[in-house]
Amino acid sequence: MTPLHSQAGHSSLLQLARRGDIQAFESLVRQHQASVFSVGYRMLGRRDVAEDLAQEVFLQLYRRLDSIESMEHLGFWLRRVVANLAIDWLRRPAHSATQPIDDELAMVAPESDCDPLMSRALSRLLGELAPAARAVMVLRYQEDLDVADIATALDMPVNTVKSHIKRSLTALRGKMIGAQLIEELP
Amino acid sequence: MSQDIENELRRALRPVDAPADFTARVMRALPPRPASAEVVMLDVVRSRAQPSWWSRFSTPAALAASLLVAIMAGRHVALEHEERQQLAGLEASRKLMQALRVTSQKLDLVYEAMQRPPPVTPPAEENRS
Repeated sequence: MTPLHSQAGHSSLLQLARRGDIQAFESLVRQHQASVFSVGYRMLGRRDVAEDLAQEVFLQLYRRLDSIESMEHLGFWLRRVVANLAIDWLRRPAHSATQPIDDELAMVAPESDCDPLMSRALSRLLGELAPAARAVMVLRYQEDLDVADIATALDMPVNTVKSHIKRSLTALRGKMIGAQLIEELP
Repeated sequence: MSQDIENELRRALRPVDAPADFTARVMRALPPRPASAEVVMLDVVRSRAQPSWWSRFSTPAALAASLLVAIMAGRHVALEHEERQQLAGLEASRKLMQALRVTSQKLDLVYEAMQRPPPVTPPAEENRS
């Protein structure tokens, strides 16, 4: 990143990218690649496919930069596109079976205070959810979007989002109890 | 309990870093952006594009002529209407004068009849009894 781009505000970075400044676009990719890649990775469970998916998202962004109004809009747009592309990918007949989860996926970041066994189990169980429910859970608990934003991003009613969250939590809890990872309440 | 599993999910779903060469990979895959094409007008096109005097003023002239014709026709119709009304007024006035004249003659006849002394009738059977 050049000094100019390191000093440029986020909004001006977007404006520069829209004017064709390739370095400004590269800065935008760096800022958002972890979020986009993570959503794809949690959804698909495969690093190689998640990379391809994230690349496709940024190529789409490059073609549609003129339609992005602000940095807030950009973040929302990226999450919406990656989630929907991942759902489409999972719904293709060749990929519709439960996806194997990379062992690496369940690895916990070194600074994380999460129980590695629990994290691995949750990642695996998340991979067993239906594509739309999985997208809802990833956007809710990884990207911390609220219910209304998830509904807009996935083009589904708010009540459907709430229902996905409730049913998924119940299913995850049941499987965790079944796997004796958590104790059942008396 | 629900809170616990939600917190566990938040911890388990922390964002992971993209591969180190991901940015470079995206940048390599970018299609060339279409340069903003400057439109150069050829002389032939430019000369053809120059509007002639006639094509520039024909439409306003036609509109003005149409407007003038419409105004003149309207005025002609109005004058004819006015003339017809004047003739009708004169006719009505003539008929009124004639009616007054006839009425006056009749009144004269009545007046003359009233001024004439009544005819003398002989005393017929006054002395009969």
